[in-house]
Amino acid sequence: MAKSAVQEFTKGLWAEIPPFRLVLGLCPVLAVTKGVETGIFMGIATTFVLVCSNVIVSLLRKVIPKGVRIACFIVVIATFVTVAELLMQAFAYSVFMKLGIFMPLIVVNCIILGRAEALASKKGVGVSFADGLGMGIGFTLSLFALASIREIIGNGTFYEIPVFGESFQPFTFMIEAPGAFVSLGLMLCIMNLLGKK
Amino acid sequence: MREMIRLFVVILIFSAVSGGLLTILHSKTEARIEYQELKFVKGPAIKQIMEGSSNDPLVTRFKLKDDTEERSFYVGIFDGDPNIVAFETFGKGYEGDIGVIVAVNVENDEIFGIGMTTNKETPGVGKRIETDVDFRLQFNELSIEESIKLRNDGGQIDAISGASLSSGGVVAAVGSAKEIYKRLKPEIIEKLKGFKT
Amino acid sequence: MGDLILLSVSSIFVNNILLMQYLGNCPFLGVSKKMETAVGMAMAVVFVMVLAGVFTWVVNTYLLKPFEVEFLRTVAFILVIASLVQFVEMFLKKSIPALYAGLGIFLPLITTNCAVMGVALILNKEEYDFIHALVASTAYAIGFGLALVLFAGVRERILLARVPKPLQDTAIGLVMAGMMSLAFFAFKGMA
Repeated sequence: MAKSAVQEFTKGLWAEIPPFRLVLGLCPVLAVTKGVETGIFMGIATTFVLVCSNVIVSLLRKVIPKGVRIACFIVVIATFVTVAELLMQAFAYSVFMKLGIFMPLIVVNCIILGRAEALASKKGVGVSFADGLGMGIGFTLSLFALASIREIIGNGTFYEIPVFGESFQPFTFMIEAPGAFVSLGLMLCIMNLLGKK
Repeated sequence: MREMIRLFVVILIFSAVSGGLLTILHSKTEARIEYQELKFVKGPAIKQIMEGSSNDPLVTRFKLKDDTEERSFYVGIFDGDPNIVAFETFGKGYEGDIGVIVAVNVENDEIFGIGMTTNKETPGVGKRIETDVDFRLQFNELSIEESIKLRNDGGQIDAISGASLSSGGVVAAVGSAKEIYKRLKPEIIEKLKGFKT
Repeated sequence: MGDLILLSVSSIFVNNILLMQYLGNCPFLGVSKKMETAVGMAMAVVFVMVLAGVFTWVVNTYLLKPFEVEFLRTVAFILVIASLVQFVEMFLKKSIPALYAGLGIFLPLITTNCAVMGVALILNKEEYDFIHALVASTAYAIGFGLALVLFAGVRERILLARVPKPLQDTAIGLVMAGMMSLAFFAFKGMA
């Protein structure tokens, strides 16, 4: 039991790291990685929702009837998304404004529903918690990596602190929509090169 | 049919529990969110107008009932006298409403200053109402009794070139602010006495 | 009238929901490998997105706002969309089996399509009135369909090309999407 929980946790960090290995939930990945700040906050919020919904779904897995399980999962997820939304409004309003509609959109992030359906609705609380945490942290790391690349090259800053000298001409392509697709595609390619291991 | 009803009841229970929990959380965080919203949306405009005041105008605020609407007023204290009162009004711009904070000096019934809050004007054109300081300053020290119009309509305000519709929206907002102020003046003065130190 | 035309053009091209607003990318990459499935998905999304836009607008204006429970927006919207998809599925199965045969398998996927939820949220954020909400959601839906079908065309071609191994499949798909996004970027100059 203890060992499998650890395994569930670590697989989210590398072997099945979303969104690179598990190509799900791409929209937030593309949209919020303009800057490191929004990327990290999005990652934290998603992790929070993922862990909570995994635990609750796992606790209630024997109560929820099969026919409406997706609807029930969605209600659970939406509840936690709103919790995250309210908390962020109360304590980090400036980031909340930057995230805009992508905060409520966590509810349709396929990773969360995917984990609830594929794992949490079948396994125990401990394993589901570990899986949620692992996947969440993996997702946050991916967001952080992509956001760093895009912000440094596209804007010449890291966490809104300039990293290059005055003469640096930002490569704006990277922070616009096309750059988001291309850089994610190239990162996927690099991950494929590194191999599954 | 029995099965259908059972499924329906399950979803109903889920939604009810979720709604209940969120309502509790919302009531707990409401005050904080309101303050945060103030700080980041109206805050910059209010602070800009009230620069040099000895208080935090976002904290010294009160509400008054105006017909069906409830309006928030922000008080600026200069030299110990709470003479400046600011509130938000709206005027129709090029696209949607333009939010304007209008501050009035109750001692001489003159406009103390205005600042922009929310609008959907075109960046680079109508949006210049936010950045064009000279445009904004034209309103200062105009009397509440005076009719305020754009110069094209025979008034005293120079519109921002190329953005006369947006400028007109600001003028309209200031106009409605005059009406609100005249209507509520006795109550405002009564409330302001409470802030005297 | 003029502003409605402007709104639809900007929603289809300038603010294309897939390539400019990054919404609905999972089905974008998932079902774009074959033209046939892409067309099916595009139709299903157009259908549901317009309905969802209208329904969430009604729920928002006549339920959430009057009772001042706008903080329940996320829960309400997703429930509306999920039940809408369910009803559309049941309705099509019974009444128009031919259409169901074409769209059926895509419908369940749409519940978690962020484009549908995204459009509902955009309409809510921009505070459109009913007509504008209807036009905007239709235009966004058309934009989604257009991008998806165009992209599927490109992807069918890529199957014939020799792509380096690590870039195969999704990776090259994303790079191609980037190129298409760049093409749509040109529309920004129009606005």
